[in-house]
Amino acid sequence: MAGLLLSSTEKVFIVHGVQEDFRSDGRSNIDYRPMELETDVVSHASGSARLRLANTDILVGIKTEIDTPKPDKPDMGKIEFLVDGSANATPEFEGRGGENLASSISNTMQRAYHSSQAFDLKQLCIVEGKQCWKLYVDILILECGGNWFDAVSLATKAALFNTRIPLVKALLMDGGNVDLQLSDDPYDFKFLDVGSAPLLVTLCKIGEKCVVDPSAEEESCSVISLIVGITGNSKSYCADKGASNITDVDIKCSTISMNGPGSLAPKTLKNAIHQGM
Amino acid sequence: MPAADLLSSQGLRLDGRRPNELRRIRCKLGVFTQPDGSAYLEQGNTKVLAAVYGPHQASKSKMSTEAVVVNCQYSMATFSTGERKNRPRGDRKSQEMSMHLRQALTAAIKTEMYPRSQIDIYIEVLQADGGTYCASVNAASLALIDSGIPLRAYVTACSASLGRQSATHEPLVDVSHIEEAADGVCLTVASLPSTGSIALLEMSNRLHMDHFNIVLTRAMQGCRDIEVILDGAVRQHLAEGWTKQDVITI
Amino acid sequence: MVSHVSIKLASERVNHSVASNNDPPRFYTPGEVITGIQDFMRGHGTYAEDDCLKASVAGVMQKVNKLICIRPLKSRYVGEIGDVVVGRVLEVQQKRWKVDTNSRLDSILQLSSVNLPGGELRRRSEEDEQMMRKHLQEGDLISAEVQNVFSDGSLSLHTRSLKYGKLSQGTLIKVFPSLIKRRKNHFHNLPCAVSVIIGNNGYIWISPHKSDILMEGNKDAIENYEIQPVGKSERETMARVKNCILALVASKMMLDDTSIMFAFEESLKYDNVKELLDPEAMLDVAFLTQHRINIIAEE
Repeated sequence: MAGLLLSSTEKVFIVHGVQEDFRSDGRSNIDYRPMELETDVVSHASGSARLRLANTDILVGIKTEIDTPKPDKPDMGKIEFLVDGSANATPEFEGRGGENLASSISNTMQRAYHSSQAFDLKQLCIVEGKQCWKLYVDILILECGGNWFDAVSLATKAALFNTRIPLVKALLMDGGNVDLQLSDDPYDFKFLDVGSAPLLVTLCKIGEKCVVDPSAEEESCSVISLIVGITGNSKSYCADKGASNITDVDIKCSTISMNGPGSLAPKTLKNAIHQGM
Repeated sequence: MPAADLLSSQGLRLDGRRPNELRRIRCKLGVFTQPDGSAYLEQGNTKVLAAVYGPHQASKSKMSTEAVVVNCQYSMATFSTGERKNRPRGDRKSQEMSMHLRQALTAAIKTEMYPRSQIDIYIEVLQADGGTYCASVNAASLALIDSGIPLRAYVTACSASLGRQSATHEPLVDVSHIEEAADGVCLTVASLPSTGSIALLEMSNRLHMDHFNIVLTRAMQGCRDIEVILDGAVRQHLAEGWTKQDVITI
Repeated sequence: MVSHVSIKLASERVNHSVASNNDPPRFYTPGEVITGIQDFMRGHGTYAEDDCLKASVAGVMQKVNKLICIRPLKSRYVGEIGDVVVGRVLEVQQKRWKVDTNSRLDSILQLSSVNLPGGELRRRSEEDEQMMRKHLQEGDLISAEVQNVFSDGSLSLHTRSLKYGKLSQGTLIKVFPSLIKRRKNHFHNLPCAVSVIIGNNGYIWISPHKSDILMEGNKDAIENYEIQPVGKSERETMARVKNCILALVASKMMLDDTSIMFAFEESLKYDNVKELLDPEAMLDVAFLTQHRINIIAEE
């Protein structure tokens, strides 16, 4: 987003603040702003969550659909991400304005969830090679105050946790076709195992140091940000010190060449593991 | 053509409401901090967010020296409907909705106050269960009030249908999704209830001229009822947000 | 706070409203008849129709002699001559700058209404016109005074005083203009060694104390100052002031030097500035501040 205009002296102030490990709202470089989470907010969706991180507001709705699995992965379900920047967030998103940002977020999410260690797609399988569940993860950005990636991934995880997959009551094999009968009882469902679902942590390089959870002002000061996907160990889900496992490293350059980030990646990665929730 | 099965023999509707009963409306003003005004409105299971930006300097191409330019965008979240939508906006239906919203809201805004400016009104439907247009107008009305933009009066919208109970026809207020789907008449009215004027009127399906008046009256009554509810919400919002200031009253 | 991340459930949301001890005033909503009598004058937020004066916004009434206005809870900034504003330069045009001041239309700063370096009152040469970007460029923040209000509502600004002009290091907070109390002075050097400019337009600028040498306009000293890092203790007080203002805004309390200072003093019981980001702490600070304001009001 280019919308934010800052004077050079304001930038100097922010950069020096990061250098001192004391940001303009009193946070240190590794502090997040307070978040607020709410699940099961949209009744038309199988699972939903709303996350508010300071000014950033994300609503995620998950819909399920029955689909045929890909021939090369017969025992796996499908998951698809769609990010929509609502014009409510900023007038710049009106019409097709937010599409670039939206597709970059959804691509990153897609890649983060692609790995089998990150999210077990096998739990979405119904009949191997024939039928599987397809999850549509629709992400709506309602207000923007910086740090979309982290907020989106967190909200998605919460929504997946909340997703109810109806149980299959009967299977009818009719030649090559499979006829499914879903349970009519709305309380007959299973939850997904999301213990290892990845979270994205954005590290914004400002000056010489990196910060997490940048505000919109801070984002406009940094030339580069690194997005690290972290999956928690499913056994120690919820625990703070689960052995983190980095599955996806995505380097996003906004302006500069790839050399810069290359030299920076190892250090920040270590940093990121350290910060894994 | 009133659909026969919209009213039960006891005179209740498919969702158990009486013919003149609105769905429950819950609303909140000022839900976001970045827009100039915002509101959230729930009408039964239909949930809508509205945000208002402006008035601000209009872009050169749109600018008018006479009045403010009102710009509306209506979009529906992909998970808002029973069947998943593929596109949140840009399809024909939402473009039509945007146009109709603009028409109804422009009628209420005192456009002559702000030459060379522009007001952006964005509607996001989070959950659709019939009457999204009505809910959008009502939410936008609240968001406009929250932003402090001068209005002639509240603009509210309400729909009405016609049901039949034995031999008598009974108009039904605030049509829900199942009633919309039952192929009955659906008359949508956006009006400024305190002045009694109609800003927009739309009807689908066949309705006999003889019944038109009673359906319209019911819809207008619905608009008035909604205005009372919205007015209550605005007053409550003011009371919560009002801090000590020097106020002189007559 | 030990952990670096805190996630709350929405059901535990804090209600930010701070009960004020007086009864709410009479509210008017759009379309409501204020008075049927004709000998009142129509002010902001009202309009005449059918021989009645009606409200066009939702708010409370203010009456000055025969002029009736309705003040909404919040709106864009409506400028008045003499107001102090903080604005951001959007565009450099011929002989003027366009400035965003949170009002409906962009404001204008004429080249002739700024103090150019080196001279008192001298003619603006063509050279000056070409040097405009050097003086103020896009994104720069300025403090200024409203010089004139045009008929369409747009403002023209001037910075012809040493206290106005380009702002150096610091942070900007945007709040609703209606929360700003109109005062004689909007430049405050708070006792905690932080200066605050409370713009009437709702933009608040927080910066470290300026030493007096810099006020004299020594150009080299200023340029030097602009890149010098701000010390950690100053930074901490600035962050505290910022978070206090945000706490007051969340509870929709009026802002002036007194309320900010009260909030600052109340916030000192939270050792760590970042604790003030927590909604409960914010409410606590706002509540205590309101309490102290009430005590003063009673005296």
